[in-house]
Amino acid sequence: MQSSDFERRGFAAGVREGFVAFLPVSVGLIPWALVVGMAMTSAGFTPLEAMGMNIIVFAGTAQLGTLPLIADHAPLWLILATGLALNLRFLIFSAGIAPGFRGIGTGWRWLCGHLLTDGSFAVCYDKLMQVDDPRWRLGFYLVTGVWSWLLWQSFALAGIFAAGVIPKSWSLEFMATIALIVLLVPMAKSRPMLVAALVGGGSAVLLRGMPLRLGVVTAICLGIAAGFAAEHWQEKKNA
Amino acid sequence: MNDPTLWLIFVLLGLATTLPRASFIVLGNRFSLPPTLQRALRYAPAAALAAIVVPDVLTVGGHIAPLNPKLAAAGAAILVAARWRNPWLPFIAGMSVLLGLKALLPG
Repeated sequence: MQSSDFERRGFAAGVREGFVAFLPVSVGLIPWALVVGMAMTSAGFTPLEAMGMNIIVFAGTAQLGTLPLIADHAPLWLILATGLALNLRFLIFSAGIAPGFRGIGTGWRWLCGHLLTDGSFAVCYDKLMQVDDPRWRLGFYLVTGVWSWLLWQSFALAGIFAAGVIPKSWSLEFMATIALIVLLVPMAKSRPMLVAALVGGGSAVLLRGMPLRLGVVTAICLGIAAGFAAEHWQEKKNA
Repeated sequence: MNDPTLWLIFVLLGLATTLPRASFIVLGNRFSLPPTLQRALRYAPAAALAAIVVPDVLTVGGHIAPLNPKLAAAGAAILVAARWRNPWLPFIAGMSVLLGLKALLPG
Protein backbone atom coordinates (compact mmCIF):
# COMPACT_ATOMS: atom_id res chain seq x y z
CA MET A 1 0.00 0.00 0.00
CA GLN A 2 1.78 3.15 -1.20
CA SER A 3 0.91 6.68 -0.10
CA SER A 4 0.35 7.66 -3.76
CA ASP A 5 -2.67 5.34 -3.79
CA PHE A 6 -4.56 7.82 -1.64
CA GLU A 7 -3.91 10.75 -3.95
CA ARG A 8 -5.40 9.23 -7.10
CA ARG A 9 -8.16 11.38 -8.59
CA GLY A 10 -10.99 11.20 -11.06
CA PHE A 11 -13.11 8.82 -13.12
CA ALA A 12 -10.97 9.10 -16.27
CA ALA A 13 -7.74 8.29 -14.40
CA GLY A 14 -9.47 5.25 -12.89
CA VAL A 15 -10.63 4.09 -16.32
CA ARG A 16 -7.10 4.42 -17.75
CA GLU A 17 -5.41 2.54 -14.93
CA GLY A 18 -8.12 -0.11 -14.76
CA PHE A 19 -7.86 -0.80 -18.47
CA VAL A 20 -4.06 -1.20 -18.35
CA ALA A 21 -4.29 -3.55 -15.35
CA PHE A 22 -7.14 -5.60 -16.81
CA LEU A 23 -6.13 -5.92 -20.49
CA PRO A 24 -3.78 -8.92 -20.09
CA VAL A 25 -6.22 -10.74 -17.81
CA SER A 26 -9.10 -10.14 -20.23
CA VAL A 27 -7.33 -12.15 -22.95
CA GLY A 28 -8.49 -15.27 -21.12
CA LEU A 29 -12.13 -14.34 -21.82
CA ILE A 30 -11.70 -14.68 -25.59
CA PRO A 31 -11.37 -18.47 -25.91
CA TRP A 32 -13.90 -18.93 -23.10
CA ALA A 33 -16.48 -16.78 -24.94
CA LEU A 34 -15.73 -18.59 -28.22
CA VAL A 35 -16.25 -21.96 -26.50
CA VAL A 36 -19.55 -20.88 -24.90
CA GLY A 37 -20.77 -19.45 -28.23
CA MET A 38 -19.98 -22.70 -30.00
CA ALA A 39 -21.60 -24.76 -27.23
CA MET A 40 -24.87 -22.79 -27.44
CA THR A 41 -25.01 -23.41 -31.20
CA SER A 42 -24.29 -27.11 -30.68
CA ALA A 43 -27.15 -27.23 -28.12
CA GLY A 44 -29.53 -26.27 -30.94
CA PHE A 45 -30.06 -22.56 -30.23
CA THR A 46 -30.62 -20.16 -33.12
CA PRO A 47 -28.10 -17.26 -33.21
CA LEU A 48 -30.81 -14.97 -31.75
CA GLU A 49 -31.54 -17.35 -28.87
CA ALA A 50 -27.83 -17.87 -28.22
CA MET A 51 -27.11 -14.13 -28.09
CA GLY A 52 -30.25 -13.66 -25.97
CA MET A 53 -28.92 -16.13 -23.41
CA ASN A 54 -25.45 -14.59 -23.59
CA ILE A 55 -26.74 -11.07 -22.88
CA ILE A 56 -29.41 -11.95 -20.30
CA VAL A 57 -27.44 -14.53 -18.32
CA PHE A 58 -23.86 -13.16 -18.82
CA ALA A 59 -22.21 -15.95 -16.80
CA GLY A 60 -20.02 -18.40 -18.69
CA THR A 61 -19.86 -21.20 -16.14
CA ALA A 62 -23.61 -21.08 -15.49
CA GLN A 63 -24.34 -20.98 -19.24
CA LEU A 64 -22.11 -23.95 -20.03
CA GLY A 65 -23.34 -25.90 -16.99
CA THR A 66 -27.06 -25.48 -17.72
CA LEU A 67 -26.89 -26.02 -21.51
CA PRO A 68 -27.11 -29.82 -21.35
CA LEU A 69 -30.07 -29.54 -18.92
CA ILE A 70 -31.91 -27.07 -21.16
CA ALA A 71 -31.28 -29.23 -24.23
CA ASP A 72 -32.60 -32.30 -22.33
CA HIS A 73 -35.80 -30.42 -21.29
CA ALA A 74 -34.88 -30.83 -17.61
CA PRO A 75 -37.33 -29.36 -15.04
CA LEU A 76 -37.05 -25.59 -14.57
CA TRP A 77 -36.13 -25.85 -10.87
CA LEU A 78 -33.14 -28.08 -11.68
CA ILE A 79 -31.89 -25.66 -14.35
CA LEU A 80 -32.21 -22.72 -11.94
CA ALA A 81 -30.66 -24.58 -8.98
CA THR A 82 -27.70 -25.56 -11.16
CA GLY A 83 -27.23 -22.00 -12.44
CA LEU A 84 -27.44 -20.67 -8.89
CA ALA A 85 -24.94 -23.20 -7.51
CA LEU A 86 -22.49 -22.47 -10.32
CA ASN A 87 -22.60 -18.75 -9.52
CA LEU A 88 -22.75 -19.02 -5.73
CA ARG A 89 -19.08 -18.13 -5.50
CA PHE A 90 -20.12 -14.61 -6.53
CA LEU A 91 -22.04 -14.24 -3.27
CA ILE A 92 -18.66 -14.55 -1.56
CA PHE A 93 -16.95 -12.25 -4.10
CA SER A 94 -19.77 -9.69 -3.78
CA ALA A 95 -19.48 -9.63 0.01
CA GLY A 96 -15.70 -9.36 -0.21
CA ILE A 97 -15.60 -6.48 -2.70
CA ALA A 98 -18.67 -4.59 -1.36
CA PRO A 99 -16.66 -2.21 0.90
CA GLY A 100 -14.91 -1.02 -2.28
CA PHE A 101 -18.18 0.61 -3.43
CA ARG A 102 -18.45 2.96 -0.45
CA GLY A 103 -19.73 6.35 -1.57
CA ILE A 104 -21.11 5.05 -4.89
CA GLY A 105 -24.87 5.30 -5.71
CA THR A 106 -27.32 2.38 -5.78
CA GLY A 107 -27.93 2.52 -9.56
CA TRP A 108 -24.20 2.21 -10.26
CA ARG A 109 -24.00 -0.61 -7.72
CA TRP A 110 -26.63 -2.66 -9.59
CA LEU A 111 -24.69 -2.19 -12.83
CA CYS A 112 -21.38 -3.05 -11.09
CA GLY A 113 -22.99 -6.10 -9.49
CA HIS A 114 -24.30 -7.38 -12.82
CA LEU A 115 -20.84 -6.91 -14.38
CA LEU A 116 -18.95 -8.73 -11.59
CA THR A 117 -16.69 -11.49 -12.94
CA ASP A 118 -13.81 -13.56 -11.55
CA GLY A 119 -11.32 -11.39 -13.47
CA SER A 120 -12.77 -8.03 -12.35
CA PHE A 121 -12.84 -9.23 -8.76
CA ALA A 122 -9.23 -10.40 -8.80
CA VAL A 123 -7.88 -7.29 -10.53
CA CYS A 124 -9.96 -4.69 -8.63
CA TYR A 125 -10.14 -6.02 -5.07
CA ASP A 126 -6.94 -4.48 -3.60
CA LYS A 127 -7.30 -1.16 -5.46
CA LEU A 128 -10.92 -0.65 -4.36
CA MET A 129 -9.92 -1.18 -0.74
CA GLN A 130 -6.89 1.16 -0.89
CA VAL A 131 -8.02 4.17 -2.96
CA ASP A 132 -10.25 6.84 -1.39
CA ASP A 133 -11.71 8.69 -4.39
CA PRO A 134 -15.08 7.00 -5.24
CA ARG A 135 -15.02 8.29 -8.86
CA TRP A 136 -11.57 6.76 -9.42
CA ARG A 137 -12.79 3.47 -7.96
CA LEU A 138 -15.95 3.48 -10.10
CA GLY A 139 -13.89 4.17 -13.23
CA PHE A 140 -11.30 1.50 -12.41
CA TYR A 141 -13.95 -1.16 -11.72
CA LEU A 142 -16.40 -0.20 -14.48
CA VAL A 143 -13.84 -0.34 -17.30
CA THR A 144 -12.98 -3.93 -16.34
CA GLY A 145 -16.70 -4.85 -16.32
CA VAL A 146 -17.64 -3.06 -19.55
CA TRP A 147 -14.55 -4.36 -21.39
CA SER A 148 -15.36 -7.93 -20.21
CA TRP A 149 -18.95 -7.48 -21.41
CA LEU A 150 -17.87 -6.26 -24.86
CA LEU A 151 -15.29 -9.04 -25.29
CA TRP A 152 -17.79 -11.61 -24.01
CA GLN A 153 -20.57 -10.59 -26.42
CA SER A 154 -18.34 -10.14 -29.50
CA PHE A 155 -16.42 -13.37 -29.15
CA ALA A 156 -19.50 -15.41 -28.20
CA LEU A 157 -21.06 -14.08 -31.43
CA ALA A 158 -17.90 -15.12 -33.28
CA GLY A 159 -18.13 -18.55 -31.61
CA ILE A 160 -21.80 -18.94 -32.59
CA PHE A 161 -20.90 -18.50 -36.25
CA ALA A 162 -17.53 -20.26 -36.05
CA ALA A 163 -19.02 -23.40 -34.44
CA GLY A 164 -17.44 -26.32 -36.21
CA VAL A 165 -14.81 -24.23 -38.05
CA ILE A 166 -12.07 -24.02 -35.37
CA PRO A 167 -10.55 -27.49 -34.89
CA LYS A 168 -11.06 -28.91 -31.39
CA SER A 169 -7.42 -30.08 -31.40
CA TRP A 170 -6.27 -26.47 -30.86
CA SER A 171 -7.50 -26.78 -27.23
CA LEU A 172 -8.28 -23.04 -27.18
CA GLU A 173 -10.39 -23.49 -24.03
CA PHE A 174 -7.17 -24.10 -22.07
CA MET A 175 -6.31 -20.41 -22.42
CA ALA A 176 -9.12 -19.73 -19.94
CA THR A 177 -7.34 -22.00 -17.42
CA ILE A 178 -4.02 -20.22 -18.03
CA ALA A 179 -5.76 -16.87 -17.44
CA LEU A 180 -6.94 -18.09 -14.02
CA ILE A 181 -3.39 -19.29 -13.23
CA VAL A 182 -2.01 -15.84 -14.14
CA LEU A 183 -4.42 -14.37 -11.57
CA LEU A 184 -3.65 -16.99 -8.94
CA VAL A 185 0.17 -17.02 -8.92
CA PRO A 186 0.82 -13.51 -7.51
CA MET A 187 -1.88 -14.09 -4.86
CA ALA A 188 -0.24 -17.24 -3.54
CA LYS A 189 2.96 -15.40 -2.48
CA SER A 190 1.94 -15.14 1.19
CA ARG A 191 1.91 -18.36 3.19
CA PRO A 192 -1.80 -18.23 4.30
CA MET A 193 -2.91 -17.45 0.71
CA LEU A 194 -0.94 -20.45 -0.53
CA VAL A 195 -2.63 -22.62 2.11
CA ALA A 196 -6.05 -21.31 1.03
CA ALA A 197 -5.26 -22.12 -2.61
CA LEU A 198 -3.87 -25.59 -1.88
CA VAL A 199 -6.80 -26.58 0.36
CA GLY A 200 -9.36 -25.03 -2.02
CA GLY A 201 -7.84 -26.76 -5.05
CA GLY A 202 -7.25 -30.08 -3.28
CA SER A 203 -10.75 -30.33 -1.84
CA ALA A 204 -12.29 -29.37 -5.18
CA VAL A 205 -10.58 -32.42 -6.68
CA LEU A 206 -11.69 -34.71 -3.83
CA LEU A 207 -15.27 -33.35 -3.81
CA ARG A 208 -15.71 -33.27 -7.61
CA GLY A 209 -18.33 -36.03 -7.38
CA MET A 210 -20.79 -33.90 -5.38
CA PRO A 211 -24.06 -33.23 -7.23
CA LEU A 212 -24.83 -29.87 -8.91
CA ARG A 213 -21.15 -28.91 -8.70
CA LEU A 214 -21.67 -28.10 -5.01
CA GLY A 215 -18.15 -29.48 -4.49
CA VAL A 216 -16.72 -26.23 -5.86
CA VAL A 217 -18.63 -24.07 -3.35
CA THR A 218 -17.69 -26.41 -0.47
CA ALA A 219 -14.03 -26.39 -1.54
CA ILE A 220 -14.00 -22.57 -1.64
CA CYS A 221 -15.37 -22.45 1.92
CA LEU A 222 -12.76 -24.99 3.11
CA GLY A 223 -9.97 -23.01 1.40
CA ILE A 224 -11.10 -19.76 3.06
CA ALA A 225 -11.24 -21.47 6.47
CA ALA A 226 -7.78 -22.98 5.97
CA GLY A 227 -6.25 -19.66 4.90
CA PHE A 228 -7.82 -17.88 7.86
CA ALA A 229 -6.60 -20.59 10.26
CA ALA A 230 -3.09 -20.38 8.75
CA GLU A 231 -3.10 -16.60 9.26
CA HIS A 232 -3.98 -17.01 12.95
CA TRP A 233 -1.37 -19.73 13.40
CA GLN A 234 1.28 -17.55 11.75
CA GLU A 235 0.40 -14.58 13.99
CA LYS A 236 0.65 -16.77 17.10
CA LYS A 237 4.04 -18.07 16.00
CA ASN A 238 5.33 -14.55 15.36
CA ALA A 239 3.94 -13.12 18.58
CA MET B 1 -37.85 -26.41 -28.50
CA ASN B 2 -40.70 -24.30 -27.11
CA ASP B 3 -39.67 -20.67 -27.72
CA PRO B 4 -41.39 -18.69 -24.90
CA THR B 5 -40.28 -21.28 -22.32
CA LEU B 6 -36.68 -20.89 -23.47
CA TRP B 7 -36.76 -17.10 -22.99
CA LEU B 8 -38.40 -17.54 -19.57
CA ILE B 9 -35.51 -19.86 -18.62
CA PHE B 10 -32.99 -17.21 -19.77
CA VAL B 11 -34.65 -14.46 -17.69
CA LEU B 12 -34.89 -16.61 -14.53
CA LEU B 13 -31.34 -17.86 -15.05
CA GLY B 14 -30.25 -14.25 -15.46
CA LEU B 15 -31.79 -13.45 -12.06
CA ALA B 16 -30.15 -16.51 -10.51
CA THR B 17 -26.74 -15.36 -11.73
CA THR B 18 -27.10 -11.59 -11.20
CA LEU B 19 -28.63 -11.60 -7.69
CA PRO B 20 -25.65 -13.34 -6.01
CA ARG B 21 -23.27 -10.96 -7.80
CA ALA B 22 -25.20 -7.79 -6.97
CA SER B 23 -26.28 -8.86 -3.45
CA PHE B 24 -23.71 -7.32 -1.14
CA ILE B 25 -22.51 -4.70 -3.61
CA VAL B 26 -26.05 -3.22 -3.69
CA LEU B 27 -26.81 -3.73 0.01
CA GLY B 28 -23.41 -2.32 0.98
CA ASN B 29 -24.69 1.06 2.22
CA ARG B 30 -27.10 -0.42 4.76
CA PHE B 31 -25.46 -3.70 5.56
CA SER B 32 -21.85 -4.58 6.25
CA LEU B 33 -20.17 -7.82 7.16
CA PRO B 34 -18.41 -8.33 10.51
CA PRO B 35 -14.67 -7.48 10.27
CA THR B 36 -13.65 -11.09 11.03
CA LEU B 37 -15.70 -12.37 8.11
CA GLN B 38 -14.22 -9.66 5.88
CA ARG B 39 -10.71 -10.76 6.83
CA ALA B 40 -11.63 -14.38 6.11
CA LEU B 41 -13.11 -13.42 2.73
CA ARG B 42 -9.73 -12.08 1.58
CA TYR B 43 -8.92 -15.73 0.98
CA ALA B 44 -11.96 -16.24 -1.28
CA PRO B 45 -10.33 -15.37 -4.62
CA ALA B 46 -7.29 -17.62 -4.12
CA ALA B 47 -9.46 -20.50 -2.85
CA ALA B 48 -12.00 -20.07 -5.66
CA LEU B 49 -9.47 -19.76 -8.48
CA ALA B 50 -7.66 -22.87 -7.22
CA ALA B 51 -10.98 -24.72 -6.82
CA ILE B 52 -11.69 -24.09 -10.52
CA VAL B 53 -8.16 -24.60 -11.90
CA VAL B 54 -6.87 -27.62 -9.93
CA PRO B 55 -9.67 -30.11 -10.82
CA ASP B 56 -9.42 -28.95 -14.43
CA VAL B 57 -5.69 -29.72 -14.75
CA LEU B 58 -5.48 -32.70 -12.36
CA THR B 59 -8.34 -34.79 -13.77
CA VAL B 60 -9.08 -36.26 -17.18
CA GLY B 61 -12.66 -37.38 -17.78
CA GLY B 62 -13.42 -37.14 -14.03
CA HIS B 63 -10.48 -39.30 -12.94
CA ILE B 64 -7.28 -38.10 -11.26
CA ALA B 65 -4.42 -38.23 -13.79
CA PRO B 66 -1.09 -37.05 -12.30
CA LEU B 67 0.63 -37.30 -15.69
CA ASN B 68 -1.30 -35.42 -18.33
CA PRO B 69 -0.43 -32.66 -20.81
CA LYS B 70 -2.76 -30.12 -19.12
CA LEU B 71 -0.90 -30.52 -15.79
CA ALA B 72 2.51 -30.07 -17.46
CA ALA B 73 1.20 -27.02 -19.32
CA ALA B 74 -0.22 -25.57 -16.08
CA GLY B 75 3.17 -26.18 -14.40
CA ALA B 76 4.94 -24.30 -17.19
CA ALA B 77 2.45 -21.40 -16.94
CA ILE B 78 2.92 -21.22 -13.14
CA LEU B 79 6.74 -21.20 -13.39
CA VAL B 80 6.73 -18.49 -16.05
CA ALA B 81 4.12 -16.38 -14.20
CA ALA B 82 6.09 -16.63 -10.93
CA ARG B 83 9.41 -15.73 -12.60
CA TRP B 84 8.61 -13.03 -15.17
CA ARG B 85 6.20 -10.12 -15.04
CA ASN B 86 5.37 -10.17 -18.77
CA PRO B 87 1.64 -11.00 -18.81
CA TRP B 88 1.64 -12.77 -22.20
CA LEU B 89 4.49 -15.24 -21.54
CA PRO B 90 2.42 -17.70 -19.43
CA PHE B 91 -0.05 -18.07 -22.34
CA ILE B 92 2.77 -18.74 -24.82
CA ALA B 93 4.54 -21.20 -22.47
CA GLY B 94 1.38 -23.02 -21.39
CA MET B 95 -0.12 -23.42 -24.86
CA SER B 96 3.26 -24.48 -26.36
CA VAL B 97 3.72 -27.21 -23.74
CA LEU B 98 0.10 -28.37 -24.11
CA LEU B 99 0.08 -28.53 -27.91
CA GLY B 100 3.67 -29.88 -28.01
CA LEU B 101 2.90 -32.74 -25.64
CA LYS B 102 -0.39 -33.52 -27.40
CA ALA B 103 1.50 -33.73 -30.71
CA LEU B 104 4.21 -35.97 -29.20
CA LEU B 105 1.88 -38.26 -27.26
CA PRO B 106 -0.69 -39.79 -29.60
CA GLY B 107 -4.11 -40.61 -28.21
